[in-house]
Amino acid sequence: MTAIREPKISIDGVTLVHVNEERRQEHVALENVSLDIGEGEFLCVVGPSGCGKSTLLSAIAGFMKPWTGEIRMNGKAIEGPGADRGVVFQEYALLPWKTVLGNVAIGLKYRRVPKAERERLAREYLAMARLTDAADRFPHELSGGMRQRVAVARTLANTPEIMMMDEPFAAVDAQTRLTLQEELLRVWDEHPITVLFVTHSVEEAVFLADRVAVLTPGPGRLREIVDIGIPREIRQWDSISTDARFLELRDHVMKLVRDPGR
Amino acid sequence: MTVQAQPSSKMPRFDPVVIAGLVPFLAVLAAWALAPTLSDIPAYKLPPPEKVWSAFTDMTLDGSLPSEIWASLRRLAAGYVLGNLTAIPLGLAIALNRAVAETMTPVLSFFQSIAGIAWVPLAIIWFGVGQGSVLFVIANTIFFSSIYSTVIGVQLIPRVLYRAALCHGASRLDVVTSVVISGALVQILVGLRTSMAYGWRALVAAEMIAGTNGIGYMTLEAVQWYQTEIVILGMILIGILWLALDFLIFRPIEHVTVRRWGLLA
Ligand SMILES: Nc1ncnc2c1ncn2[C@@H]1O[C@H](COP(=O)(O)OP(=O)(O)OP(=O)(O)O)[C@@H](O)[C@H]1O
Ligand SMILES: [Mg+2]
Repeated sequence: MTAIREPKISIDGVTLVHVNEERRQEHVALENVSLDIGEGEFLCVVGPSGCGKSTLLSAIAGFMKPWTGEIRMNGKAIEGPGADRGVVFQEYALLPWKTVLGNVAIGLKYRRVPKAERERLAREYLAMARLTDAADRFPHELSGGMRQRVAVARTLANTPEIMMMDEPFAAVDAQTRLTLQEELLRVWDEHPITVLFVTHSVEEAVFLADRVAVLTPGPGRLREIVDIGIPREIRQWDSISTDARFLELRDHVMKLVRDPGR
Repeated sequence: MTVQAQPSSKMPRFDPVVIAGLVPFLAVLAAWALAPTLSDIPAYKLPPPEKVWSAFTDMTLDGSLPSEIWASLRRLAAGYVLGNLTAIPLGLAIALNRAVAETMTPVLSFFQSIAGIAWVPLAIIWFGVGQGSVLFVIANTIFFSSIYSTVIGVQLIPRVLYRAALCHGASRLDVVTSVVISGALVQILVGLRTSMAYGWRALVAAEMIAGTNGIGYMTLEAVQWYQTEIVILGMILIGILWLALDFLIFRPIEHVTVRRWGLLA
C-alpha cells in the first residue's frame, strides 16, 4: 500500500557500461533498468554479487554517465557528483586526519557553513548517532560499527535530498548489524529523507525497505519490485522476526534472488 | 580503583628503547678503545678515542669546529628548502594532472638517474668550487628524492575518499586541500625525511670535492696532514648530526600528524 509519491529519482531505460581504456574492453554492468525512487521513500536494491548494484549507485551519485537512458533528480538530468546526493560507502571513507567531529562537519565546511554553526550542527547529528563521547577521537580509534555511524551522521548532517548506502553494514558483526539496522530506522524516522540502500542481505532489505528492487545476475536487469507493506511501528527485530508478513515477503524476495528466472 | 600504567612518553628518563639503541654504539666504542692492545694497527691509521675526543674539544674551543658545522647545516637547510619547495608542488601537479604527468615523467626519470654527485663536475664548471656548486648538488639530490614520494603519496590515497568528498559538496580546490594534501602527507613526510638523509650525504660528498668549508671539506682536508683523528671526528659528527636532525625535526612532526591519525603503525 505504498502511496503514490513524486519521484525524487527517475532511472529511465539506463544501461551502464564500465570501459577499461587500457585494455579497450567494455563491460555491461546494468542493462535497460527503469526505476523510480519516490520522495521520502526507503528503497532497497538486492541482487547477487556483480549484478551492478554499486555501479547503479555510482551513476546516481554522478561518478559515471549512463551509456543509454537517463537518470534524473527532480526531473533534471544528473550532471555530476554533488552534495544533494550523499553516499555512505561500505569502506566508511572517513578522513583519517580529521576527528569524528571534523568528519561529520566536513560537508558543511565544503558548503561554507560558518565554523560555529557547523560545529553545532555536527554535534547535533553526533548526538543522534550516539557518538557524543567520541567527538574528539580519530576514526582509527573507533570500532567498525561506530565508524559506520559516523559516516551516516556525516551524510545526514549535510541534509542531502537522497542518502545512498552501499552495503553499509556488510563489514560489521551480525549482532552489531541488527542494532545498526534498528538505529538507522530510528534516525530515519527523525530525519525523513529519500534513501537508496544497496545490500546482499534479503532479510536486511525486507526489514528496512518500503520497496525492494530485485536485480538479476549481471548484467543486471530489474527482476521485480516488491512492496513491503509492513507497518513501521513493528520494525524491530524482536517483533518482526516472527511476523508472518515479514517471513512471507522475505521468502518471496529470497526466491526472486535465488531463481532469477529467464 | 585500579592504577593505569602511565604512557611511556611521560617518563622518558630511562626509556628502554633508547638504552637498547645505545648498546651497539657502546660495543663499537669498546672495540675501538681496545683495538691497539689487541692488534698492531698503528695510531696514525686508527687513533684511540681519547685522541679524537681531544681533537673535538680543541676544535670546539678554538671555534673552528662550530663554524664548519654551521657552514654545513646552513647549506643543508638552503638546499633542503629549495629542493622541497620545488619538488612537492611539482609532485602534486604530476599526481593530479595527467597531462603534467605524461610530459614530466620521462624527463624526470632521465634526470633522476644522474641526480646528485654526478652533477659535481658540471657544477664546478658552472658555479666554480664553493658554495654555489655544493648547494646546486644537494638541492638537486633533495628534489629528486622528494618528488617521487609526493607522487606516490597521492597515488596511494584510496579513491573512495575523493568520491566521499565530491558527494558531500567538495569543490576541486576542497579536494586538494582536504583530501590530497593530508592524504599524501605520510609519504611526503617520508620524502622529507629521506630527502634530508640523501641531501646530507650528498652535502658531505659535495663538500669533499667542491667545497671550501663545512664538515665534509674539513674531513677530507685533514687527510693531507694525516690528521686521522679529525677524519674520524668528521665521520662521527656526520652521523650524530643526522641523528639529532631526525630526532628533533621529524619525530615531533610525525607524532602530531600521521601517527596520531593511525596511518603509521
Ligand atoms: N571499474 C570497473 N571496471 C570494469 N568493470 C567493473 C568495474 N567496476 C565493476 N565492474 C564490473 O561491473 C559489474 C558490476 O559490478 P558492481 O560492483 O556494480 O556489482 P555489485 O552488484 O555492487 O556487486 P557486489 O554485491 O559484489 O558489491 C561486475 O561484473 C564488475 O566486475
Ligand atoms: Mg557492490
